[in-house]
Amino acid sequence: MAAGKLRYEHEEHEQRNLHKEIKVKLKDGVMRDALSRFVNEYPAARLKAYDNVVSIDRLRDDLRDMKEWTVDHIDEVADEFEASIKARGGHFFRAKDGDEVKEILLKICEQEQVRRIVKSKSMATEEIHLNQALEEKGLHVRETDLGEWMLSVAGQKPSHMVMPAIHLNREQCAGFFSEELHEDVPSDIPYMIHTARRVLREEFLSADMGITGANFGIAENGAIGLVTNEGNARLVTTMPRIHVVILGYEKLIPKVRDAAKILRLLPRNGTCQRMTSYMTMVDGPTPVIYEKDGQLVEEERKQYVILLDNGRLRAAADPKLKQVYQCVRCASCLNVCPIWTLVGGHVYGHIYSGGIGAILTGLLNNMESFSQFSDLCIGCRKCMTICPGKVPIPDLIDELRSRYVKEHGLGLPEKTAFRHILTHRKVFHTLLRMGALAQKPVESGGFIRHLPLFFAGMTKGRSLPAIAARPFRDRTEELFRENPEKPVLRAAFFSGCNMDFVFPGTGESVVKVLQDLNIEVIYPEQQSCCGKPVLGTGDRETAKIIARQNIEAFEETKADIIVSACPTCAETLEKTYVELFADDPEWSERAKAFGAKVREFTSFVAECYRQAGRLMPTAGTEKVTYHDSCHIRRGLGVYKEPRELLKAAPGVDFVEMKDCDKCCGMAGAFGVKYSEISLPMLKEKVNNIKASGADTVAVACPACLMQLRGGLDQQAPDIRVRHIADILAENIAAGHSQAESM
Amino acid sequence: MLKVCNDWPREAFTDELVSGKYWNDFSVNAKAAAAELWRVPDMLEARRKLEELIESLAVKKVVAVGGGELPALDYLYDELAKRTELYTDKFDIARQAPQADLGISVAEFGVGETGSVCVDTYAFESRVVGMLPPVHVVFLDPAYMVRDVETAFEVIEKVFKSGYMGFITGPSRTADIERVLSLGVHGPSRFIIMAVEQGLERQVH
Ligand code: SF4
Repeated sequence: MAAGKLRYEHEEHEQRNLHKEIKVKLKDGVMRDALSRFVNEYPAARLKAYDNVVSIDRLRDDLRDMKEWTVDHIDEVADEFEASIKARGGHFFRAKDGDEVKEILLKICEQEQVRRIVKSKSMATEEIHLNQALEEKGLHVRETDLGEWMLSVAGQKPSHMVMPAIHLNREQCAGFFSEELHEDVPSDIPYMIHTARRVLREEFLSADMGITGANFGIAENGAIGLVTNEGNARLVTTMPRIHVVILGYEKLIPKVRDAAKILRLLPRNGTCQRMTSYMTMVDGPTPVIYEKDGQLVEEERKQYVILLDNGRLRAAADPKLKQVYQCVRCASCLNVCPIWTLVGGHVYGHIYSGGIGAILTGLLNNMESFSQFSDLCIGCRKCMTICPGKVPIPDLIDELRSRYVKEHGLGLPEKTAFRHILTHRKVFHTLLRMGALAQKPVESGGFIRHLPLFFAGMTKGRSLPAIAARPFRDRTEELFRENPEKPVLRAAFFSGCNMDFVFPGTGESVVKVLQDLNIEVIYPEQQSCCGKPVLGTGDRETAKIIARQNIEAFEETKADIIVSACPTCAETLEKTYVELFADDPEWSERAKAFGAKVREFTSFVAECYRQAGRLMPTAGTEKVTYHDSCHIRRGLGVYKEPRELLKAAPGVDFVEMKDCDKCCGMAGAFGVKYSEISLPMLKEKVNNIKASGADTVAVACPACLMQLRGGLDQQAPDIRVRHIADILAENIAAGHSQAESM
Repeated sequence: MLKVCNDWPREAFTDELVSGKYWNDFSVNAKAAAAELWRVPDMLEARRKLEELIESLAVKKVVAVGGGELPALDYLYDELAKRTELYTDKFDIARQAPQADLGISVAEFGVGETGSVCVDTYAFESRVVGMLPPVHVVFLDPAYMVRDVETAFEVIEKVFKSGYMGFITGPSRTADIERVLSLGVHGPSRFIIMAVEQGLERQVH
């Protein structure tokens, strides 16, 4: 039988070679084509489905608020659900894990003399490998969702929660049909659909038991809701004489009307439809007519509801992780994830893929498998812009990662490096200077790969920037001689490692632009790395040491504002430090005061220019496009200002490029650790830049500057990449200063 | 026939929630979901359309529900039974539905925002007529429309205490093979909404 010979590509506890798996997927042309076509069409199709909705955001807030309330009252809600089911004559069970579900279910099968089972898609049952257990007991089990059915025949896992078989093409599907049916099935889609209808219809008509999951379970009346396009869930809940529902606690909602909050978002985000073909609600036992001892009889269908915990209740009690309850499994976070769209769902391991999959795996399965692929989230935050339940996926991954590190520690070389090098500014900076002397990447195993400045294994497809002979910190004395005499403000500059050691010239530009605004600039020498690379590994303790050093260094300066021209640093200084010290009253206050002064460079300058009347669009001839870095666009919510600055810059003809805010693939350590994924992302970006016809691509982030420069250098050497600070400084030098324009 | 609510108009509808003015939204969205919309003035015309359908598809067997509650439908079914095998008894339906060519049932109201019809399918036979035959026709009163899914649930919550109900929005579909849209994978490949302007409760002469 099909699923009996399940040969999953990898089992969850196995030590995996992720790089190898990724390589295989990247070479899978069928999958790559399918995913890239889908990813291109998805955003517009989704928006079209929302065309007749006044505010998507209001719907998302409503859904989140409802789910938040539910998880805060999960025990009451679950009790009410249980009471509602029982009052209607259903049987109710709670199972703490997959083993308990199987035990309960096998007992039911025995009592009710069940032989044949049809299932409609249920992630919860996949999560606990239910089919295998049932088949081992000799039961005949069939998935009835077409995609799931093909995968069970193929012995594969779903690669997407909504489109499980998206990685396959029609020829591969026809192969699985032929194998299962022992007949030659041509790769003609209508023929295959018809064949599936014929074969699965027999299954529906002869099954004793139907098993479904639920998209929601209503506490108020005990109804469960099922959303499908094929209608298989309707048949699974209609034809067999027994209905078993297996649902997780996160599916519960309090009231009948709360279902609307899910239903207005889930189909639109999941399949770009205003509603799926079938939305079915089953509330308690319902009549069934079936043949018993050669005669048609009408009876009440037996209903068994199993509420599955498997880590969910622990998550519900956790102030951070309870946010996973806001997920309605629409899978749209995958559809916009730059990693998933390249490698597909299988490399994520367990059943749930993508960023949300990493989290669910950590919570429901185990932290070991989470730790194996949690790095596959690059923190670009694209998913957060569309998730119906507003689940902060990257933040939850960070949280789990840091908990894992707290419990298990970092690998040894990394630990030594971070603790002893990054927390000692001088040692760290000396190392960087040594890198400059050698003029080649310093290699030192595990540690180096986490620093954005070192590029082991990164040369293919992009050039490497050299470490500057004279870092920014050695240039400040001359620069600050030009500080205005009667400044309007005193700004402390936080350069970040990149601007300090790789792009000190851009650091100079930042200073000149600020000085031109009559601002005094100072540079606290004691500043170090913002700590983001350490945070990325989950080591919050070391990050705290670094944060304290930076906060102290800037407190002493008594500056009015702290300016950073690296959005990643700006976000870390402004937001992450405050979160880091949430439990430490003294440092929490200091971090807040510090964070309140932080200004991202382009948004700050745009504000000053606007006040000075310098933000007027000009007509120019040099075509310039703009790449939104993930951290500035979605971390800080800044995207208008850089464009305004460019449009106002003399000589510039501003053009947009396709997917301007899609990650360039750098993402800190990711670009180094997974260069095989980072490079195709870079290549796509470079293609979009080329297609825009721009002579120059402007950025507001030094990490993107580095990545794009490396990529364009090799693939389109005529196109320049420049930080906006450099463009502005050049204009000032050319005489377009504030004094003149006023 | 067993229903979640025996009289939706009286027990669940209010003038604020339910109105024919959402018909336009409904028809646009229903068509976008690949439903076929047949708007007819009265039962006579409905009958003519159905006879045409039976003719053109060479329908041999029909399973139909709703006649017990709506005399106008009952009469229509009697008429249709002169041309084709037609079953309305629940055991007959259970036996015949797997081979039937056409299923006929009734929807309670339409949803403007999505083009869905809300179906009260507590009875086993009302579900199989809509799922097993390749073509499904639902009767609908075009005056019974709600604006959106939110208001639909305001209506539903008044009466949904137990049973089986939901929305149908176009035919059964899948895109599981190469994301190519294919209709009729498990349920009907044609879903026809027969909107009778005169309403469903009025007797045909
Ligand atoms: S996290 Fe959000 S976007 Fe992702 S599957 Fe869940 S609800 Fe959908």
